[in-house]
Amino acid sequence: MSVAALHKVEMTPKEYKSDVAPVWCPGCGHYGILNGIYRALSELGVDPLNLMVFSGIGCSSRTPYFIDSYKMHTLHGRAGAVATGAQLASPEKAVLIVGGDGDGFSIGGGHMPHMARKNVNMTYILYDNGIYGLTKGQYSPTSRPEMTAYTTPYGGPEEPLNPLLYMLTYKATYVAQGFAGKPRDCAALIKGAIEHKGFSYVNIFSQCPTFNKIDTVKYYRDLVGPISEDHDVTDRGAAMELARREPNKKVPVGLFYKEDKPTLDERVAEFVTRVGGKPDYDLNKVLDLSRP
Amino acid sequence: MEKKDLIIRVAGEGGEGIISSGDFIASACARAGLEVYTFKTFPAEIKGGYAMYQVRASADKVWNQGDTFDVFCAFNGEAYELNKHLLTPGTAIVYDYPGGDFEPEIPEGVAGYPIPMSATAKELGSYRAKNMVALGALSVLFNIVEETLIRVLTDKFAKKGEKVLSINLAAFEKGKELAAALEKKDEWALAEAQDPKDVIIIAGNDAVGLGAILGELDFFSAYPITPATEVAKYVSIHIPKIGGTLVQAEDEIASISQVLGASYAGAKSMTATSGPGLALMSEMLGMAAMSETPLMLVDVQRGGPSTGLPTKHEQSDLFLAIHGVHGDAPRVVLSVEHVQDCVEMTIEALNLAEEYQTPVILLSDGSLAFSTQTIPTPKPGSYKIVDRKLWDGQGTYKRYQLTDDLISPMANPGTPGAMHISTGLEHGEDGAPKYAPENHELMHRKRFDKIKPIVDRYPPAELDGVEGEADIGIITWGSTIGVVREGVARLVEQGYKVKAMYPKLMWPMPVDQYEAFNSTCKQILVPEVNFQGQLSHFLRAETSLKPIPYTICGGLPFTPAMIVDKVKEMV
Ligand SMILES: Cc1ncc(C[n+]2csc(CCOP(=O)(O)OP(=O)(O)O)c2C)c(N)n1
Ligand code: SF4
Repeated sequence: MSVAALHKVEMTPKEYKSDVAPVWCPGCGHYGILNGIYRALSELGVDPLNLMVFSGIGCSSRTPYFIDSYKMHTLHGRAGAVATGAQLASPEKAVLIVGGDGDGFSIGGGHMPHMARKNVNMTYILYDNGIYGLTKGQYSPTSRPEMTAYTTPYGGPEEPLNPLLYMLTYKATYVAQGFAGKPRDCAALIKGAIEHKGFSYVNIFSQCPTFNKIDTVKYYRDLVGPISEDHDVTDRGAAMELARREPNKKVPVGLFYKEDKPTLDERVAEFVTRVGGKPDYDLNKVLDLSRP
Repeated sequence: MEKKDLIIRVAGEGGEGIISSGDFIASACARAGLEVYTFKTFPAEIKGGYAMYQVRASADKVWNQGDTFDVFCAFNGEAYELNKHLLTPGTAIVYDYPGGDFEPEIPEGVAGYPIPMSATAKELGSYRAKNMVALGALSVLFNIVEETLIRVLTDKFAKKGEKVLSINLAAFEKGKELAAALEKKDEWALAEAQDPKDVIIIAGNDAVGLGAILGELDFFSAYPITPATEVAKYVSIHIPKIGGTLVQAEDEIASISQVLGASYAGAKSMTATSGPGLALMSEMLGMAAMSETPLMLVDVQRGGPSTGLPTKHEQSDLFLAIHGVHGDAPRVVLSVEHVQDCVEMTIEALNLAEEYQTPVILLSDGSLAFSTQTIPTPKPGSYKIVDRKLWDGQGTYKRYQLTDDLISPMANPGTPGAMHISTGLEHGEDGAPKYAPENHELMHRKRFDKIKPIVDRYPPAELDGVEGEADIGIITWGSTIGVVREGVARLVEQGYKVKAMYPKLMWPMPVDQYEAFNSTCKQILVPEVNFQGQLSHFLRAETSLKPIPYTICGGLPFTPAMIVDKVKEMV
């Protein structure tokens, strides 16, 4: 995230709330994530005027409406790509992407590797509820095979994907995982992500009590456990090892990986410097190249 | 009509230097003050396959590639086989013999000039210099100003080192000698050199890129696709010079998404693609229309559907450009006739997108993409550049405010007092989702009515041919216009009552102009390079015209002679 947008204002978490109130189902995990976002923004003093929040389509993708900032509610799966353009066009702004596992890893899956490997300077918060909420409960790329759902009455025929391994493989430079049931921990991870310069990805387990009847709050509470203190967050291999899911193994939450690397906008800015670019560049020099 | 131009076609195997020979001839002609229009066909393969390059040069303006060649230079047997039916009396052929892979039969009345191109190049120790032997011969036989040609060659090969330069110049000299020993058997010669003009010579795709730079583009994102990729190439070289950004996206959905995001952030933004890419972009074009985000897209059309004929010429994306979207979504569609349009209309399209906060699609096509043409050197700083209307900071900001002109002021992120959501959901004036039926109708009307004035503000379609009543009125679009211009000129000279109308604003349609034109014509003929007659379809749907479609889709453009013959058949 661009440092230019940080530590600019003093606002309480509440002051980041827009006047639109969330209409998620009672007990939905997305509330916890939203509170984590408010808190992280407040702790970092992010200037709302210089914050751009992007989402696709889904219950989770409604989030921008509830944050006081500049924001765009785009198409299913396209938030990251839209945000990439906005970030490159306006690199001094803070850019946040919010959305679900279906939005990010199914329809938007083609964009995920590229945001990561290009190290676009922005933060992606993925609300991972293992289901398509908005379309009333179909299995998603992170659903467990044992889940019966709207279009999988006999259980899922597919293996779920592992968002963290995915992001680590494609070289995201900040990778973390949290659980919506622990909003303070989420806030800390989101804060770290926003502060990070480069592409930061936070996967947050979020229960959908309405449609996902197996990934309950209790299930997640039993499932997750903190990352051990001696984990080296600069070791990608170790992070990948941690991210591997195995039966009966606790799923770690916390910061998996962090790396400093030039961002895409920095690299593009180098081209401008290299050619001596400026707004009043003499374009006759460009035209001369096409003289016969 | 007196013939003042010369058309030279060079053809052979891709990779044999066909394209560079053509480029050399074109540059030399342009340096000699002549007007140039080139036409190329490529194989879809990377290496090998039939390649053809045709240069048409004249002291007068050249509007199209011409009917056929006057002079044909055959590099191999395949090229000869593919073109021999065009060797009509009066034409000339220069061919690789002896030592080539063929021995042509020279028809009665055709001037044949055997030049051992391959053998000579081999003797000189570089097979790649074959095209220079041919060029040397052509320069002697057809008065292609040797001095300028040598200067062009020297400029080009000097970059590649002394040795390459000397071999190529030696090959050129040898070609000259070989031709000088032959008896000149035809009348063809390039027009005498003119006073040098202030021109550039540039291909359609590069010209679009140039227009983008002159139009003060900030952000460009695209995914490679034939025949549009050169636009990105040109922009990638020059956009850093004006401080802008180009990225290559992972696919066309991403590129149009990035363009939308950049535009939302305040940047003047565009992409370039071809039909398959445009198809992928259609959902996001709906989003741009709904969220009223300025966005410009160039579609360099190719033969479709599907992978179709990727390197071939077609004008078959008019349906997709105008109506390829879910729901009711307005857009502006423009089409270019020639290379000069590629520069100027790219600037215009960027302006229109900013002014009307709506997607603007500029249609180019495969033959224009690679056609190099001489155009007056554009003057940086002389173009009108339009930026989006921004909020003046007064009162409460509403992103979709219903203003008198229905264009709501924008507020780029960072603007105090104007935080808002830009959304693809139907919304009220403030951007908040609003599904009430009367609101949806109201907002539809806003989005559609705001672009209506373009029809009257845009320069009226050019009219050509006879004044007053005509037996045949021709309406055409895109690069077919240049062909029709010449057809109409010939017909008028022969006394036919023919006129023509050349729309460049394809959508919204200038209905009144079409009606007025129709009222002076007995029949309306609509030539276009697609199967279904796409412009004819829109004319039938939107106006009272009863167009007679004249469609071809063989991967090649029309020729003036085809237009002339068709009109004669009709009257
Ligand atoms: C092109 C397109 N296809 C399908 C949809 C329908 N759709 C909307 S949201 C959604 C899935 C949402 O699931 P997820 O992203 O996991 O978010 P959640 O609702 O669970 O928070 C789908 C399939 C759409 N809006 N657009
Ligand atoms: S359907 Fe599920 S994801 Fe959507 S709001 Fe309700 S609980 Fe949350």
